[in-house]
This record gives sequence, structure tokens and C-alpha cells, in this order.
Amino acid sequence: MTDISQFTGELLKSMGLFLPETTLIITFLVAIMADLISGKKHFAGYVVMAGLLVTAFFLMRQTGIESASFAGLLVIDPFGQFIKFIVLITTLLVIMFSFISKELHHSHAKLGEYYILMTGMVIGMFLLASSANLIMIYIAIETMSISSYILAGYTKEVKRSTEASLKYVIFGAVSSGIMLYGMSILFGLTGSLSLLEINTFLMNNSVESITLLLSGIMILAGFGYKISAVPFHFWTPDVYEGSPITITALLSVASKAAGFAVILRFFKVVFSAGLGSENVAWSIIGSIDWHFVIAVLAVLTMTLGNLVALWQTNMKRMLAYSSIAHAGYMLMAVAVLDNTGVAAVLIYFFMYMIMNLGAFLVVQLVADKLDSESIDIFNGLGYRSPLIAAVFTLFLISLTGLPPTAGFIGKLYVFSSVVNAGYLWLAVIGVLNSVISLYYYVRVIRNMYLRDIESTQPKLTFSVSALALVMLLAIPTLILGLYFSPVIEWANASIAIFTGH
Amino acid sequence: MEIGLTHYLIVSAILFALGLYGIVSRKHAVMVLMGLELILNAANINFIAFARYGGMNIDGQIAAIFVIILAAAEAAVALAILLNIYQHFKHVNVDEVKEMKE
Amino acid sequence: MDLITIAFYFFAALTLGFGAVVVLSKNIMHAAFSLLFTFFGVAGLYVLLHADFLAITQIMIYIGGILVLIIFGVMLTTRITGVDVKSGKVGIFQLTGAIVLTLSIALLLLFVYTNTHWYQPESIPMESTAELIGTTLLTRYLLAFEAASILLLVAIVGAAFIARKKH
Repeated sequence: MTDISQFTGELLKSMGLFLPETTLIITFLVAIMADLISGKKHFAGYVVMAGLLVTAFFLMRQTGIESASFAGLLVIDPFGQFIKFIVLITTLLVIMFSFISKELHHSHAKLGEYYILMTGMVIGMFLLASSANLIMIYIAIETMSISSYILAGYTKEVKRSTEASLKYVIFGAVSSGIMLYGMSILFGLTGSLSLLEINTFLMNNSVESITLLLSGIMILAGFGYKISAVPFHFWTPDVYEGSPITITALLSVASKAAGFAVILRFFKVVFSAGLGSENVAWSIIGSIDWHFVIAVLAVLTMTLGNLVALWQTNMKRMLAYSSIAHAGYMLMAVAVLDNTGVAAVLIYFFMYMIMNLGAFLVVQLVADKLDSESIDIFNGLGYRSPLIAAVFTLFLISLTGLPPTAGFIGKLYVFSSVVNAGYLWLAVIGVLNSVISLYYYVRVIRNMYLRDIESTQPKLTFSVSALALVMLLAIPTLILGLYFSPVIEWANASIAIFTGH
Repeated sequence: MEIGLTHYLIVSAILFALGLYGIVSRKHAVMVLMGLELILNAANINFIAFARYGGMNIDGQIAAIFVIILAAAEAAVALAILLNIYQHFKHVNVDEVKEMKE
Repeated sequence: MDLITIAFYFFAALTLGFGAVVVLSKNIMHAAFSLLFTFFGVAGLYVLLHADFLAITQIMIYIGGILVLIIFGVMLTTRITGVDVKSGKVGIFQLTGAIVLTLSIALLLLFVYTNTHWYQPESIPMESTAELIGTTLLTRYLLAFEAASILLLVAIVGAAFIARKKH
């Protein structure tokens, strides 16, 4: 029996470290109540926004804390905090996108469940970003998945939205089932569910490599699904195309952030025996070349993403493949498995968040005006709405990774971490991929300025709030390309992953 | 031969393979879900067998309880989505649900 | 052969035999009912593994809950009165691929399972696990327990939203 006073003491301490998540859970419950009593369409949305801001405040106060809580189920560390901030900022922006989305307004009198499930998803992502136990990881992944299955099919009278939701739930359930089977094998090998204890066991005992590799790959299938790494990506195009565009934006940024968090934490905590010789690289336990396994995933992911994106005719689908490619670039930095790699992933993710959300917002605004998501609707946009076209050009250049934009800085750090670790061949493949991606991003820019310029199609006008939101994302995309040191410093301060030793 | 850990693991391996077969060879979404339930049961047999032979480690049984809870939640959501699909398409065959094109 | 051995082979045969029927049956209703026996066989294996509480949970939730849901799913999405209770056929190419994939995975797993030294310290079988599970759930796994309750709430809100009629 655990000593009860010691137990309650530790529980109170853990609750103190759990304040951001507690706030989210209270927000979740209050939003349900608020939706019941209020008839206003976006009331729950305002409640959730307020809750997220309070969460951000509590999260800010955790700066610099490194500690295990709840008997090691969760760990609080700067790395998790960074990811949680990405999740929070993304969700806040997506809620604002939802306020001006026409697609969502058409279908429902009230959007209560939409905001409630979004909060549920954020709770899942917060737990995932700091889980240090296999079962906790599974619960967190399921919490975030179940919310996103429903959100993907939120406009349920639209056929392709229900299709997105079906594909997401079927493939998602299967991949998490395979992940769970891998976890059960890992449990059998090491006799523990806690990542820290598994690490201690692996350091002091030798286990069969093939069994460890098998369970690792099965677990990677579950994680890879969340970040849509090839070959676990097949759901991405259909789900991104079929879901309401606000949800596509959320899935492409926030749920990927949580997926990268769990991959990095899993490899760092389970397979590293502390820092190696140069105090940067992790010394990996065992004889399995995890660098190579992840590098292969990275190459497959970015190459397939970029090649298939070339012949897409639907804007959302093209951005889906582009987001697969971006996951590939980040996986390159993960494959390095060292501290500069972690910093590079965090830097890239911050930049990716801003430019990708910006691109999705522009697509949402234009698609709402013209009732189509085809790439052709962007023809002549340079004439019909010069400001939006200019901003979209900026986002696309940034996604390609050309200076002077945020995307360039992100790519720079990813490639330099890969080259520093001696994986020149990987960096070369990455650069070749960026060249391929130039083609399909620039094609859209060319269509905006060089097609249909003489046409007499009416000009497009956008509301002030929509324009303000676009500028909110466009200005940082430009500024972070020139003045980026705060993000770099923040990311470098956030590479600490709690390993218990 | 006395029944030991390996016996249970073999049952789990075959059950996992059967579940996987059901998932990749069937189109009907409910059949895919049934295959998934077989995989989850195989994982649970693993967890509990490792708990029994790994020094009566209660963690394995706790894991199995959570798996059962989550399987129930997932099945409920998946079937709600299936009903919705059925209203639109009048069937629930996964590869025939194709509104979107490459 | 002692009683335990006979019981093991009985339950293992029940699990795998009906498991095979689930994935091979042409009729989806037969598949759903075979799943009942598979779940039951698994519950029997849990009893042999000294997991009495889990065996009861398996019967209550899997058979009483999930299986009923699945059968409802079958009945609501197929025309059971007609001949159309088929479970959907796939092409010969896909079928061959599935068989090859499944066999290779099964052989790999069997090879790994029979050649691995698992973590196996001295075991002390115990009478009943219910009390230990209760205390562990509310101490070491308290957070997981609470997180699962949030997950169930999310699932209820979501399932109710998706399944209800337009308003």
C-alpha cells in the first residue's frame, strides 16, 4: 500500500503542474454548458477562446520547469511547453478562421459541438505532448483522434465531408491498433509501461534487436499516421480535401505538432543513454540504426508528397500533399537524433505554423467567395484582388523556402542540422525536393498574375476582419525571414526533454 | 509440455494476423471494424500474458482495461460515422466511397 | 494432460477458430455472431492468466457493449431481409496480396515470439486481482483514469452529434 499522506502530497504537487490542462478541461465543461444556455451561434467559440488564453497564461508560468508528475505518467519540460504553445496559437487562430468561415455558416444553426470538440482535441494534444507512459500516449492519441474524426465530418450533409470522416476513422483506428500491438511487445520485452523505466531497462540489459525493431516500427506506424509520414499517409489527401477547411488547417499544423512531439520524446527518452561525446548527439542504445529507419521515412515522405502535389487540381489537396512534404523535411531533422535536430524541428514548426495557416486562410477566403476549391479559381487573382494575391504569393514563396521569408529560415536550420550531423546525402535529397516543390507553388503564382488578366471578372472584396487576420499571418512570415533570433533563442531554450537522468 | 508464455503469444500472433487479414481483405466498413477488434484483443492477450509471466506485473492488466474502454469509445464513434455514411451512399464499402478524385 | 492444459487448448481453439470465421465468412451476420465466441474464448484465456477482473470486464464490455453496437451497425447498414447481407468482395489481386501480407506477418511474429527472451522474473500468482487493480488505478494511474473519462465525454458528444438528424 502506498503511504497515503505521501501520495496526497505528490498529487497536490502534480496538480500544481497540471494547471494548463485543468483549465482546458474546465473550458471544455463550461463550453458544453454555455452551448446549452445560449442561442448565439459562436458563443461556445468565445468561451473556448477565453479558456485558451487563460491556459496560455498558466503555460507561460511553467517556463524552465523540468519535472515528472502524476507518478511519471506526465512530464513537464520546456520541449513540451514549446509544442503546447504551437498547439494553442494554432487553435486560437483556427477559431478566428471559423468565425468568418462561410462553409460552416451554411450548414449549422449553432456551432457548439464544433468548438467543444476542438477543445477536446487540444486536451488530447496537450497530454500527448507531455506523456511519458505508453498507456498515457495511447489515451492521448485516442482523445485527439476521436475529436478529429468527428470534426473532419462536421459538415455532415456534405458527402465528401462524411467520406473524409469515414476514411479518417477507419485508417486511424487500424493504425492505433497496430501501434498498441507494438506497445504490448515493448512491454513484454522490458516489463514496464513507463518510458523512463523502459530506458533504464534497455541500458542495463540487452534485448533481441529484431523484436525491438518490430515493436518500434509498429509504434512508429501509429505516430507516423499522426504526422502523415509515408507509408502511413494515405488518408491525408482525402481527409484534407473533404474536411471543412478550418479543420484541415488545424489537422495540418496542431495535430502534426503533437505527433512530432511524441516521436521526438519517444526516441529521446527510450533509446538514448544521455548525451554523447560532443554533448549534442544522443548516444543510442542497442544495435538498431534508428537514424537510417527515420531517414528512409523522411526521404519517402518528402519525395512522394512533392511528386504527387505536381498534378493536383484541387487547392486543398495540393496543400495536403505539400504538408506531407513538409513533414518529410522535419523528419530529416528528427533522423539526426540530436539536440540541434530537436531545435531545428521546433524552429521549422514555428515557421510552418505561420505560413501554412496563412495559405489555408487565403484558400478559405477565396473558396468562400467563388464556391470552388479548384486551382483555376486563382487565375487572374492578381487583378481581381491585388492584396490577397500578393499575400498568397508571400505564403507560397515561404512554403517553397526562398528568402526573405520565414520558410527559408526554417529550411536553413533543418538542412544545417542534417549536414552538421554528417548526413550530406539526406540534405541533397532535401534540396532536390525543394526544387520540385518550387514548380507547383510557382504554378499557382503564375496563374494568379499571368492568366486571365484581360478578363472582365469582377473584383473581389473581403471584409476588414478577414483582411486583418490575413495580415496577422503575413507580416510575421515576412518579418521572421529577416529578424528571426527570438524564435531561434526560444527553440534553443526548449530542447530539454525530461529523461530523468 | 506445460502451458507457458509462448503458448499465449502464439495465440495472440495468429489472432493479430487474422485481424490484419480481415482489415486488408474486406471492403465492408463493419467487417474492417471487426478485424480491428481482433487486433485489439490480440494486444490485450499480450499485455495480460506478459503481466502474468512478468512477475504478476499489474501494469499489464491496467493497460488492458484502458484498451477495452478506448475500444468501446472508438467503436461507438466509428458506428455513428458509418450510419451517417449509409444515409449518403446507401452502402458502407470503404473503397466504393469515392466522391473525391486524384 | 491436466485440466489447465485442456482448458487452454479449448479456449485457444474457440478464439482462433471463430476468429477465422469472422474474417473468412461471406455473411456479415455470421461474422458478427462468431465474434461473440472469439471474445468469449479470449475471456477464458484471461481466466487462465489469473486475470479474473479482466475476464469479467471483457464479457461485460466487449460482449455486452461493443458486440451489440457492431450488430446494430450491421443491421442498420445492410438490408437484412433481402439477400444483400454480403460483406463485400474484393478482387483476386487484392486477396492474394492480403494472404501474402498476413502470412508473412504471422510467420515473422511467430519467429520473433519463439526466439525472444522476454522479461520473466519469478512470478507469484495471486488469488484475485480486483483489489490491486482498484488501488493502482486510483493511485499510480489516476491521471490515465481521469483522462479516459474525458475521452468518453468527447466520444459521447461526438457520437451524439454525428448520429442525430439534421435540425
